[in-house]
Amino acid sequence: MREEVEVLIIGAGISGLAIAYSLQKRGVKDILILDESYIGAGSTGRCATGIRASFTSKEHVVLMKHSIDLWKKYAAGELGRAGLYYDQSGYVWVATRDESAEFFEKLAKLHNSLGVNTKIIGIDELKELVPPMKVDGVAGAMFDPTAGKSYPFDTIFAFLKLVKGRGAEVVTRVKVTKILTSSGKVTGVEVKGGKIIKAPTVVVAAGSGSRELLGSVGAKLPIENIPRHALITEPYKEAFKPLVIDWDTPGVPYIVQSKEGGFFMGRDVEEKPELPLTSQRIDFMPKAVKPLTKFFPWLRNIRVLRYWVGYYVTTPDHHPVYGPVKEVEGLYIAAGYSGHGYMMGPITGELLAEWILNGKPHIPEAERLTLNRFEKGALIKELAVVG
Amino acid sequence: MGEEVRKHPIIICRCRDVTLDDVLKAIDEGCEDLECIKRRLGLGMGPCQGRTCIPLVIGIMARRLGKKPDELLIPKPRAPVTPIPVSLLLKSVDVKVEGEGGDENA
Repeated sequence: MREEVEVLIIGAGISGLAIAYSLQKRGVKDILILDESYIGAGSTGRCATGIRASFTSKEHVVLMKHSIDLWKKYAAGELGRAGLYYDQSGYVWVATRDESAEFFEKLAKLHNSLGVNTKIIGIDELKELVPPMKVDGVAGAMFDPTAGKSYPFDTIFAFLKLVKGRGAEVVTRVKVTKILTSSGKVTGVEVKGGKIIKAPTVVVAAGSGSRELLGSVGAKLPIENIPRHALITEPYKEAFKPLVIDWDTPGVPYIVQSKEGGFFMGRDVEEKPELPLTSQRIDFMPKAVKPLTKFFPWLRNIRVLRYWVGYYVTTPDHHPVYGPVKEVEGLYIAAGYSGHGYMMGPITGELLAEWILNGKPHIPEAERLTLNRFEKGALIKELAVVG
Repeated sequence: MGEEVRKHPIIICRCRDVTLDDVLKAIDEGCEDLECIKRRLGLGMGPCQGRTCIPLVIGIMARRLGKKPDELLIPKPRAPVTPIPVSLLLKSVDVKVEGEGGDENA
């Protein structure tokens, strides 16, 4: 492993790998990525594969629209040849209350004004998009045709292949214990065992471990690691393409069929932050599937294969923290996506590369997402956190 | 191996149709432990959760990489250990007591 490097990235999930990829495109060659576990072991590999721009804040919509453009571009290019894909099969939001149907109309207007062509759909169109769905009780529905899905490990192994091919070093099973500084500037990191790696630029893209790392230089990252659960069933023939969200059931259950045919299902169940990922919540499985059997009665006949836990690394305003850490020159952060880090990966890479090399990103909305917004009280409001 | 055997792919994971060639290729492309190869190839993620393939892959990886089996990070089984029909989950007390979600038959 290198002992001195130009850019050191902590975290080999989608964010760390995408940042390395975007830096390399801009000519940075000397990059080391460290991960305390295996590639994609954190929230990247535990996510439920969904990608969308249909959010409720301008910042999220604009950034995710850029991210989706990149997903498509990447899938069509060298990353696509290495296995990355974007299946643009859409998201369907289903309301069972009239007030929610009205809310969808407002939301679609907001999306349209920002260039995302979300639309209100009728029952006939809903049945066409999701043929095996029982539509009794549906008060309204919305369709985001730009949304889609993509399997995280296909994505990150594609990034890994390319960034390693261009000379970045990626080392797993190495835990960074401390970020080192001298006179207000970052000088490198210390890893478990005491070894020191020198670097004038350090990027923390360590998901649920990011708070502790920033704490080692006295910077406060206000995140909570909230356990979220997902399950997958045995594989079946393709039944429907979009991800379907049951908006009016508490915990907002969703269902989406994977490339292999298994149905991913999830629902927010009440959880304590910071519980270990190995903690079991067997009650999650019935709670997630039950509301979905109302729309998909045939689910009763299929089998649940596995369930797992991942963290929503959640900030007070449910938006990511991007950019420089002002206390320490040369230190950057990309974390706290509150459940959306996988889908934001491609734009995260671009934004951080621009911040590191040019001092600012090309998207003005991103500049509002720096760490100092919490001190200034300039929080961003997100109303719809799902999938 | 005899000629006849070599003509056919050697299946390592029967749940996900992963072959010996797939496993060797993933190791050569940089997967150095079972946690990695599980996610690269999906082996151990099917209905049996690796009861057949994981012991086989431990041997293949240990020989290929010159590592001890306990250095290969054996994946943890996930609940439910065996596939469970949704109809059975719906009988759980967790959803009967909860009473939300609008399942008219529960």
